Amino acid sequence: MILSDLLGSDALEADGRRVGAVVDVRLEISGAPAQLLAATVVTGVLVSPRSRFSTWGYERRGETAPVLIARLQRWLHRGMFLVGWDDVELVDEGRVVFRGGYERRDPMLPPSPRT
Amino acid sequence: MNDETVQRMPQPDPRAPRGRVLDAHLHLLDRQVLDRDGTPVTTVDDVELDGIELGARIEPGSPAPTVAAILTGPQLPMRIFGGHAPARRRVAIPWKLVASVGTTVRLGVGADSLDASWVERWVSGHIIGRIPGGRHDPE
Repeated sequence: MILSDLLGSDALEADGRRVGAVVDVRLEISGAPAQLLAATVVTGVLVSPRSRFSTWGYERRGETAPVLIARLQRWLHRGMFLVGWDDVELVDEGRVVFRGGYERRDPMLPPSPRT
Repeated sequence: MNDETVQRMPQPDPRAPRGRVLDAHLHLLDRQVLDRDGTPVTTVDDVELDGIELGARIEPGSPAPTVAAILTGPQLPMRIFGGHAPARRRVAIPWKLVASVGTTVRLGVGADSLDASWVERWVSGHIIGRIPGGRHDPE
């Protein structure tokens, strides 16, 4: 599967209620060691209730400048949350379904060197 | 170690990241790919994920999907307008060749060992592709 098939998919609860759209996929470089970089695993999906488009990640990094863009981005993605891959039950064309009782987690990225 | 010391030790968070955390769209898509000598190779147009079966229920505790490859080729219009580019026009750079991810994605191999550089793609499309049988694998 390619990433762009997942981005923009509807995010649904187990009962079929739409809670937003998948705007990004969280990865962690923590899998089996390899010669260059360890295997990179999917740890969750980021869901935005109001927008299908992810742009510059202001809402995930606490960026505050330029103020107007930061505010616009925060407003556009208000209510964004992260759902761990363990809570994903099904991935199908255009939709991702979460397990019953799934947890909405903080979407903020842990501090790391700026990239 | 006495009981008091054990009580004071913080409990490790089982969900704490065990490695560098990236968001695929934010940190990978559209980044420039450089080879081990710093020569630009291409850009990250898409990412191939292994371990996701469309329409199949994911059993609790099953292994998480992994990043298999960086895809390059005419993916950008597909991301904007939808659909898929023909698989033959996608060039995959295996993720195991990636050495680091930062402002750019650095590979651990030279560009000349890949089919992803623009020279390779141009020669493939304009010269090899015009030879009868040049657009498919040998039979």
